[in-house]
Amino acid sequence: MHALRIRLGSSQAFVGWLFVLPVLVGLGLFLFLPMLMAFWISFRDWTGLTPPSQSSFVGLANYRALMLDPGVTRSDFALGLRNNFYYVLGVVPAQTVIAFFLAVVVNQRFLKGKGFFRTAYYFPSITSSIAVSLIFIFLFQRNGAINALIDPLLPTDRINWLDNANGLIHNLLAVVGVHEAPAFLENTRFLGLNLWTWLSGPSMTMYAIMILATWTTIGTLMLIFLAGLQGIPTEVDEASAVDGASAVQRFRFVTLPMMKPTLFFVLTVGLIGTWQVFDQVFAISTGGPQKTTLTPAYLVYRFGFRGSDMGAATAVAFILFVLIIVLTLIQRRVVDPEEA
Amino acid sequence: MTPHRLVTTVVPLVLIALLAAACGGGSGFSDQGGGGGEGEEAQGPAELQLMVASSGPAEDKALRRIVRQYDEQSDNSVKLNVVPEYDTTLQAALAAGDPPDVFFVTDLRLPDLVEAGALQPAEGKIDGEDDFYPSLKEAFTYNEQFWAPPKDFSTLGLQYNVDMLEEAGVDPPTTWDELAVAAEQLTQGKRVGLVIGPEYPRWGAFMFQAGGAVTNDDFTEMTVDSPAVTTALDYLQQMHDQGHAATQGELDAGWPGEAFGQGKAAMTIEGNWMVGAMDNDFPDINWATTELPAGPEGKGTFAFTVAYAVAANAKNPEASFDLVNFLVGEETMLQYTKQFPVMPSRQSLADDWLQANPDLEPFLKGAEYAHPFQFAPGFQGALDTLNAGIEGLAGGNKDPDQVISETQEAGQQVLGG
Repeated sequence: MHALRIRLGSSQAFVGWLFVLPVLVGLGLFLFLPMLMAFWISFRDWTGLTPPSQSSFVGLANYRALMLDPGVTRSDFALGLRNNFYYVLGVVPAQTVIAFFLAVVVNQRFLKGKGFFRTAYYFPSITSSIAVSLIFIFLFQRNGAINALIDPLLPTDRINWLDNANGLIHNLLAVVGVHEAPAFLENTRFLGLNLWTWLSGPSMTMYAIMILATWTTIGTLMLIFLAGLQGIPTEVDEASAVDGASAVQRFRFVTLPMMKPTLFFVLTVGLIGTWQVFDQVFAISTGGPQKTTLTPAYLVYRFGFRGSDMGAATAVAFILFVLIIVLTLIQRRVVDPEEA
Repeated sequence: MTPHRLVTTVVPLVLIALLAAACGGGSGFSDQGGGGGEGEEAQGPAELQLMVASSGPAEDKALRRIVRQYDEQSDNSVKLNVVPEYDTTLQAALAAGDPPDVFFVTDLRLPDLVEAGALQPAEGKIDGEDDFYPSLKEAFTYNEQFWAPPKDFSTLGLQYNVDMLEEAGVDPPTTWDELAVAAEQLTQGKRVGLVIGPEYPRWGAFMFQAGGAVTNDDFTEMTVDSPAVTTALDYLQQMHDQGHAATQGELDAGWPGEAFGQGKAAMTIEGNWMVGAMDNDFPDINWATTELPAGPEGKGTFAFTVAYAVAANAKNPEASFDLVNFLVGEETMLQYTKQFPVMPSRQSLADDWLQANPDLEPFLKGAEYAHPFQFAPGFQGALDTLNAGIEGLAGGNKDPDQVISETQEAGQQVLGG
């Protein structure tokens, strides 16, 4: 009896392994192995123009060049972090709030043509990001549709969206008469950039990319919110209505708390995705004007394929990896999905 | 160890071993790269791989025809591979240790590839080596060796809208002063005098004309902090400041040629490729090209060129160089360049080419005083900094001293000193 159970158990385990084998091989070959190899390369001086076995070990030199040694490598990386930080700061809240709002709207029982709206809102998400980027280049031209729309509202000249390196905060300060950096900001440096540069705010071109990214992702996020909303039992909503809660109260005290796990998920996915922005930068600005749309993910490409420095490129990738993990953990503390 | 344990331990181990074996076979960890170029076994007909970047549909077709001619007259057979995203594809092939036998190399990329040991020197293996323009041959000479014969080249010139100049009563400018005056007189309403890309491969020509350069000729020392470079940057920034010059971005165009073709600017600074672009997109514009205006220290321009290089570990170096010799041979080169605005890299073909393209003489004249667009390996970061600085100068939020000191600092980290 005992022996039989073991035999059964082991053959079951064997069959189990057999079934997961294709996925394990696939993941191992195309995910874990390249990751391990990239990690190995980040400690080497590899140009990417020879087989990697011919590279030499350089210890932490690639990481030092990015974080400690003064130089273009470090200041470019710092610029990338700065730009991407403003990008995340703008895109994550915007896409979350708009997607949530849209989900609530298309979830209304009385709304007509729900199917149409759901499809329409989801459409940008299934369109190629390069194709969308090219369309946006036309929209954001100085004589393009966006400017034609907002021009009557603006006191200034038409905005040159795609070729304007001025930061938002710098622009606002200029309005109140601050054109030069105060000495304190000018002379305090972090990662090779002075605080004045850190505090520039996103450039106009980065703004255009942020709008584009928000527009393309809200569809997917709306779908996730919609699934969450439909997971809330109608009885709960009805019970609170019977108890005399108004529509606003029901949203605030019933819907919102029950959506917390979904919200956490959307924020996490958003945070990870926005720290990896690449294709829009590649298609629209290639890091310009004046490096204001460089992002770490774009720097990986730039260092690796244009600068012939795969070591630095992979090191950027791993610093970005650690950064994303840390930020996600911090966010988990702030928006705890368990504490509803 | 129970059977159950055995399964859970052994299966993953086998998997790992499998993965290791798989990667040992094909992911580029193999050690034979670079050493296979001895070529003793190179006998008999060879099958050669030729990888090139696409230069446009018509150009690609012409190259296919040339390769077919080679196939017919030679025992060797050639597989031509025209790839988009050329640099990335080439880099992946090199990293895998299995590059094509013959491939395109730009002068900008040459130092990186030589330092990586990816190429075989072409010195002494090309017929009529001294026939190439010295400035082009020099662009493919690195560490005192000639690495790859240039297939053709383009230079920068000044293109002007003939009708606009006539209307304003302006002659094509030949000096900096004349250019500044012409740009001012041609700036009318929404139209600017000159559209110029905010990047080193355009602004650099003005540095040469002022007698300066970003580095010395050997790329061993930064020379950007010189009065000559300041003069050049000041000159161009002033034209932008006054609104007589603009970037393509300010004119809502993808590249300067487009703004020029759309009539948003009366002059631009581009190369031979303008011919094809204007014929295709703006056939009705009446335009002409002339040499770049001379600066305080005379004339200066850029030459952009591409060469055929043989891989260090080409399986059959002899056959590879045979193919290269055919491709850059006088007959083939003339056949190819005659159809297109690009110029033959051999001086002996200049007259024949001019007969076919009499209007493009100013581009050809540039060959005499052209500088290569080239730097030391690893210089890309410094070049990016310079380009960002030039964007700032054109945009009016940086000053020349700032740009020069940033570039000097960035470059010194690469070159030392």
